[in-house]
Amino acid sequence: MQKSVALVMTVLSATLVARVPAASDGGIVATPVQDPQTTQQQKQQELVLGPLTASSSHPKIGVPDFAKTGGNVTEVASVLADVLWADLDYEREYYMISRKSSAGIPAATTAQAIPFSRWEEIGADYVLMGSVREIGGKMTVEVRLIAVRGDKAGIQAFGQIYDGCATTNPRFCAHSIADDIHLKLRNLTGVARTRIAFTSDRTAESNEGRPLANSGASKEIHIMDYDGQNVRRITVNRSLNLGPTWGPDGRTLAYSSYADRYPDIYVATLDGRPPSRPAKGTEIVHNQGPAISPDGNRIAFVSNRAGQGNNDIWVVNRDGSNLMNLTPNTPKSMEGAPTWSPGGNQLAFTSDRTGINQIYLMEADGTGVQRLTFEAQVDRPTWSSLGYIAYTLRQPSGHDIATITLSKPTPVVITDGFGSNKQPSVAPNGRHIVFVTTRWGKEQLASIDMDGKPTSLRQLTQVGNNTYPSWSASPGGR
Amino acid sequence: MRQASTFAVSVMVIVALAGCGPKKPANTGPAAPAPEAFPGAQPARPPTADPNPIRTAPAPPSVPVDPPVVTSDPLDTAEIDKINADSPLKPALFAYDSDELDEVARQVIAKNADVLKKYPTWIITIEGHCDERGTAEYNLALGDRRALAAKNYLVSLGIPADRVRTVSYGSEFPFDPGHEEKSWLQNRRAHFMLTARSK
Repeated sequence: MQKSVALVMTVLSATLVARVPAASDGGIVATPVQDPQTTQQQKQQELVLGPLTASSSHPKIGVPDFAKTGGNVTEVASVLADVLWADLDYEREYYMISRKSSAGIPAATTAQAIPFSRWEEIGADYVLMGSVREIGGKMTVEVRLIAVRGDKAGIQAFGQIYDGCATTNPRFCAHSIADDIHLKLRNLTGVARTRIAFTSDRTAESNEGRPLANSGASKEIHIMDYDGQNVRRITVNRSLNLGPTWGPDGRTLAYSSYADRYPDIYVATLDGRPPSRPAKGTEIVHNQGPAISPDGNRIAFVSNRAGQGNNDIWVVNRDGSNLMNLTPNTPKSMEGAPTWSPGGNQLAFTSDRTGINQIYLMEADGTGVQRLTFEAQVDRPTWSSLGYIAYTLRQPSGHDIATITLSKPTPVVITDGFGSNKQPSVAPNGRHIVFVTTRWGKEQLASIDMDGKPTSLRQLTQVGNNTYPSWSASPGGR
Repeated sequence: MRQASTFAVSVMVIVALAGCGPKKPANTGPAAPAPEAFPGAQPARPPTADPNPIRTAPAPPSVPVDPPVVTSDPLDTAEIDKINADSPLKPALFAYDSDELDEVARQVIAKNADVLKKYPTWIITIEGHCDERGTAEYNLALGDRRALAAKNYLVSLGIPADRVRTVSYGSEFPFDPGHEEKSWLQNRRAHFMLTARSK
């Protein structure tokens, strides 16, 4: 899958027209397609993007029903259009015209047949016309983004044929299309194919040997799509499994588990092979809070293995070699919650060395320690690809999510104080933050944009208590 | 460890059978099948002689006998899970965001030390727990500090350090699922669990 994703990118950048044979693992293959009737391809918008753009520059896009051109596609056609609409809406780079308000406009199978004036009436700049046909469980989906306004009407801004989409997973097909459109139209790396790992007690079985019947609900690692769909359970050990974190391939998860009745770090791949334990915990040596380096080779984690009654930040190679204590000079303080800088050359972490938990930075070899925050109390820094660090900030009542940039270290609170808001993790494009909130009762995961815009808040989980979210660094495969 | 406790159970039953022996022929008749059916009831059999004693051992048949003469403390032989369900080891409770042992907590731990001196084979794990108000990551560290504070005090009272392990559950395993101080008070604890018996 990884291979076919790379293939898609190659096809896009080289703008090949020939169809690429389907990948052997059944992955989706995307081929650009030009409208033969369009004499002049619209010049791609040359946008150098900041994190979020002003809404005044946003093109208005309508998404009519997909045309069904063969096979059993009634259901998937509607899923494709709905999910694609939501994926495009998520990045706040387009004004997405509600599908209800465009429902009366007849679908067109060619660009020329689009009723331009009808779309213009409801304010559209572009129409995303799609068609889908199915043969033997595989779909071929064709998508074109056609301008509808003024003298640009009929010009194609995006066109792509997707072969090999599985009818069993039309959502992923739509996610792939959305990410391509984000890249082509806005030069933006979308997150529609990324996933979120988390800890949940939704399948709670009672732990053996607990003193009270109602104590000790087990917590297992789960993963889900970025929009909360397709939840899948990863661990099955009826113990405590905490703090999952993704490797850069989107196929590897490290987490801490009490499966042996003490916390140790487990590294698992999604293919179900037995996890490895590179930090080699014991009943005495406890390891937790893993963070995989951006190159996937090293794991930073929290350990008491110095044997002085405190926790330090340690680092170990994924194969268990090169174990090293990065904070050996603070034997009385508790260090925790390491997170790698996007380049992998620095780490942020928490320490109570002043008596109150604050965020510190250091080089990846433990040198050059500097203090970043001066707050009431903070926890769980997450270093984003846009350079800022999101973290949990203790407030007079409860907690909120805050961000801080290294160049201008003034904290910005981005949640609104409803419920307690903790444990942020940032999407790979830096624009969205998933976090734990109690605003709806139990602990649920929500995502919000980095500017904290209230309308960007989305509830991602509904069942049980859900904590320790971790946003994958890349799409991975399916 | 399990082997040792099996042996202890066996010995206790032998003692019990021996104690009521004289009356048995009159009550149970000549068949007296109990000794054959009870593999543990062989004299002076060292525990190491039976490579796989407990998992497959059938339950002792119910022999109609007088109350046995108890010659050993039931806590010497009871299953570990049963002891933990109603443990003579009591939890030490903590103030909010604190790992300091107050006077009450010290008294509780001192009594736990007495119990551990009475049962010198017991190996325990002290679990550090926190209420839900802090952050999860911080609470894991706070739970470590609470468990260590309790352990250090136990050791200062003469309990060998190698009999005491610690683990933090932070705020992940609350004892009381409520969301008010009454529950939080119970959840800020060093909880003492019997985890093994040394041989």
